[in-house]
Amino acid sequence: MADADTNNRPAVTMSAVNKWFGEFHVLRDINLEVADGEKIVICGPSGSGKSTLIRCMCKLEDHQRGTINVLGTELNDDVANIDEIRREVGMVFQQFNLFPHMTVMENCTLAQILVRKKSRAEAEDAAIAFLEKVRIPEQADKYPGELSGGQQQRVAIARSLCMNPAILLFDEPTSALDPEMISEVLDVMVSLAEEGMTMVCVTHEMGFARRVADRVIFMDQGEIVEQNNPSDFFDNPQSERTQLFLSQILQH
Amino acid sequence: MNNTVNAKAPPLPSFSENVRQKLFNTPVDSAITIVCAILLVWGLINAVDWIFLSSVWSAEDEPLCREAGGACWSVIDARHRIIFFGLFPYDEHWRSTAACAVMIATIIASCFSWFWTGLRLSVLWVSGFGAFYILMHGGVLGLTEVTPERWGGLALTIFIFAAVSIIGMPLSVVLALGRRSKLPIIARMVGVFIDFFRSLPLLTILFAAAVITPFVLPGWLNGDKLYRVIAGFAIFFACYQAENIRAGLQAIPSGQEEAGLTLGLRYWQRVWHIQIPQAFRNSLPAIVNQFVITFKETSIVTIVGFFEILASAAAAYGTGQWTFYYIEVYVFVGAIYFIFVFSLSRYGAYLEKRLRVGHG
Repeated sequence: MADADTNNRPAVTMSAVNKWFGEFHVLRDINLEVADGEKIVICGPSGSGKSTLIRCMCKLEDHQRGTINVLGTELNDDVANIDEIRREVGMVFQQFNLFPHMTVMENCTLAQILVRKKSRAEAEDAAIAFLEKVRIPEQADKYPGELSGGQQQRVAIARSLCMNPAILLFDEPTSALDPEMISEVLDVMVSLAEEGMTMVCVTHEMGFARRVADRVIFMDQGEIVEQNNPSDFFDNPQSERTQLFLSQILQH
Repeated sequence: MNNTVNAKAPPLPSFSENVRQKLFNTPVDSAITIVCAILLVWGLINAVDWIFLSSVWSAEDEPLCREAGGACWSVIDARHRIIFFGLFPYDEHWRSTAACAVMIATIIASCFSWFWTGLRLSVLWVSGFGAFYILMHGGVLGLTEVTPERWGGLALTIFIFAAVSIIGMPLSVVLALGRRSKLPIIARMVGVFIDFFRSLPLLTILFAAAVITPFVLPGWLNGDKLYRVIAGFAIFFACYQAENIRAGLQAIPSGQEEAGLTLGLRYWQRVWHIQIPQAFRNSLPAIVNQFVITFKETSIVTIVGFFEILASAAAAYGTGQWTFYYIEVYVFVGAIYFIFVFSLSRYGAYLEKRLRVGHG
């Protein structure tokens, strides 16, 4: 985060990226550049490849053709490169994926101690600071199973923040939550956005997109169909597929 | 209980009401309950009478045993040293007792979570095994040497169990991880290894380790027969335990691995901090089960000529005077097995409770 504004290279550059799952062509010629400090929301029908797209950015999935460059390093099969990149790119999952056998505090300090080689005391100080930021410092000694879904997702965000990532990816962070818990997670994401974090969010929370996104991307069948700033995207969608999608998710 | 219940909820049935509903609901229920109760009480009375009331206790009273209706514990009084120490030299029995105590203390200590770091466990087990070996084997510190052929009884049983567990556990983790390796050649080879040893009876493996390997291995690798048998037993144990652990690994959602990856944790960090703890929690009942089976299977080493506790027991009643009292001897040995295995099971139950924290 610290070198966010001192650096002018894009955070992520994807050019002509293609990916197949077996015969299924899940990403088709994706060209995308994420600027430093930019907040991007990606939406689209299920199976459109939006989750796969951001999973490729931290090499949870391999792409077969094209190049992906993250923070100036190309993602290839070089293990050392990948480890380095993953440390700098945080990921928040739909299912939280907290470590159930560790307390909230241990979840937040594990990677700081093992990867960043911090002392336990330093790691705990950082963890408390980020738990305060997501507004649950009082849950530090509980186990994930003792928390509500919204609380777990906020812990997951804090756990990612503890690594001081340069980019934070969100993979449908509110889709597994009960409706009354969605806003507590979105509030945290909004405040992160306001602090200048580079964010790529796969989400259907259109209110969130309108409020914080610099750019909204609509994907369908593995392609980027349309991208625009939020007000133009929502009020004046260009393609028919986008119009159809928006009418389906906004009619309620 | 009743008065603390929320006013809206129906009251919980009282104890007597509960008993009536569950045990005496219909005439057939009542009949079954009464017959079972009578059998239970009758069995209990007979057992207490045989064990305590009509029994003979001291070695000198052996002649009274013929007339007595109960157990003849004289045989234990007279022959317990053989049961506990086997062929270990009589004057050195204190060493075997102390070695046993050290090994049991080591096992108990390693049940406490304070010891659950790599360093502490290694220090504990190296010193535990070291002390056991020095006490049993001697040849140093002014102790006379007693070679492993003469070790026996409870000390040998516990030593084999502890050694097999401590060698087998890490091996089983390695095998379980190997079988799940992303490199097909490793996964395939480990799979064949595990399936090969699981397809053989333990007896065959122990026999091969004791009798056949000396012809195959170079002399310097041979070691004592006891160590070869323990190595063979440990491999057998590890192959079964590996499958239990693999089941536990399989049950971990893939998101756990992904979360570890995105935090930048390396392979062994993910294995040690994320996978292994959860795999152990997932398959704890099966893992404890394997320990229980292994403790009881130590008796099979008698087939390759070791006097563990069961073989020692057979020797205890084997001489003229005591041949009639094999039941007492086996009941006694059975009680010893029970104490160990039951403690193991209770510890397993305690661990399950402890590890369930926060998992509903």
